[in-house]
Amino acid sequence: MIDLSPAAREHLLALADDEHMIGAQHATWIGVTPFLEEDLAFCSIAQDELGHALELYQLLTDDVDRFALLRDAADYRSCWFAERSTPEWSDALVRHWLYDHAERLRWQALAHSSVAEVAVLARLVDREESFHRQHADQLMRRLLTSGEARPIVIAALHRLLPIAVGIFDPVASERGAIDEGVVASSSADLAMSWRTTISQQLETLGVTIDWPVGTDEQRHRTVRDPGFAAFHDELREVISLDPGAVW
Amino acid sequence: MTLLDPTPATLADRLAGPPVGRSWADMDEFETFLDDGGIVEAHDDMPEAYRTEVFRFIELHANSELMGGLTERDWIPRAPGLRLKQIFLAKTQDEIGHAHLLYMVAADMGMKDREQMLADLFAGRTRFHNVFHYQAVTWADQIAIAYLVDAAAFASQRAVFQNCSYGPYKRVLKRIIAEEGFHMRHGEEMLLRIAEGTRIQHEMFQAALERWWMPAVQLFGPDSSPDDPLLAWHIKSERNEVLRHAYVQKYVPLLQGYGFDIPDSGLRHDPVDGWLISEIDWSELRATMRNGGPDSRRRIATAAGSYADTAWVRDALAAAS
Repeated sequence: MIDLSPAAREHLLALADDEHMIGAQHATWIGVTPFLEEDLAFCSIAQDELGHALELYQLLTDDVDRFALLRDAADYRSCWFAERSTPEWSDALVRHWLYDHAERLRWQALAHSSVAEVAVLARLVDREESFHRQHADQLMRRLLTSGEARPIVIAALHRLLPIAVGIFDPVASERGAIDEGVVASSSADLAMSWRTTISQQLETLGVTIDWPVGTDEQRHRTVRDPGFAAFHDELREVISLDPGAVW
Repeated sequence: MTLLDPTPATLADRLAGPPVGRSWADMDEFETFLDDGGIVEAHDDMPEAYRTEVFRFIELHANSELMGGLTERDWIPRAPGLRLKQIFLAKTQDEIGHAHLLYMVAADMGMKDREQMLADLFAGRTRFHNVFHYQAVTWADQIAIAYLVDAAAFASQRAVFQNCSYGPYKRVLKRIIAEEGFHMRHGEEMLLRIAEGTRIQHEMFQAALERWWMPAVQLFGPDSSPDDPLLAWHIKSERNEVLRHAYVQKYVPLLQGYGFDIPDSGLRHDPVDGWLISEIDWSELRATMRNGGPDSRRRIATAAGSYADTAWVRDALAAAS
């Protein structure tokens, strides 16, 4: 744990919680992805995302597991897009693709952070993330150029984009984090870059999308996704069994 | 040339193209070759009986690694910590990676490709090891699997690796048992923590031990028959009952030393033979191996359902390649 201003803390918490939730959601696909090689790849990505969450949580607390799993729902700052379960593989893949392109921008905005530990971490993470994007890009390209898979993936895109834009819902203290040099760009600026990247990639594949208008339902990430309670109960089931236990 | 590299190793030899398969005049000549430490390769003209038996054995192993991964996945979302979640993900990833390698080795034997093997598994036409027909019902079961089942699997696989006559399988086993060794050590670490933990943890593991002890002991199978071809052809290097007895000698005192009770009212210690367990009723194993275990139906349905639901991805990628 390191000393952080309240603004820096909340900004990093949002990214940490997103990485935790996305890693935990990806992990639910272990053993049941479309083919064995994908099981291995997607599981590695889940482990990486959990690792990023772990590194960030260590800056925020001395008791990572209880902090990560036992907070009240209102104290998380994850976005709905990371929290939501994806029972269909098409949704899991599209989320992976959209999230990892957003994640690149978010980590890059931290590469020269005034918090030295965060800047070092951001540069390390960026290298791992390039593999995640290659994986997602290749699968998306191949499936969107296949006659039968294309409409399935496009349908998933339409389902997910309305909540995907919520990745860039800023925490309430974002202005303070920018002023302190913790992060270089606002969520609004990152969202613009992300939309450009996503639109360009889709256009090369002949897919046009209407960008949904963001809503304030997440209220600066203080309101959880409707499915969060059940997922949170599952995450904390074992650690809640016995407060004195070390596992 | 070493045992693990039975093909010619010089660059000139490799550039000369694929090695020509060997053949044997009859089964006696083939068995003499095996008894002399010969290693069979996929391109060899091996006797059909050997090909069939070895293929079935590797297919069973591959199926078991895949279904073993599914056994452990239930509790990964509930791992009581991020590092633990990463560890259990990595372990499950290893198991699926083993299945991936073993299906390739099996497919190279020319009897079925991976698609056919998976189709047979999901249709209940082929088998997987008994321990993966049971359900992990608490987090302590996850630890019992890591401690008891991984150790039994490790002992069994190491015995196959030791003197394995089928080269591709032996080379893959070298990697598998190295990784299983890590899993076993991880299981030991987890058990130590729970054994030294709170009363609740202790009771959880005792309950898990009661569920997993007998399936783990049964993993070695009934006593080997005198004419077991897998022993004769140097796939297995040790009889089932010998491996089972060695496992009991190691794990009974360890578990008792940690304060747990072995769930076997007939367990006794003999001054000459060591720890002896009750006579095993093998009907449970036989029923389980016929997909009649407590969690067989759900396990297969999960795997088969996911595979069917995601066929569109495989079809699209196959069409694009």
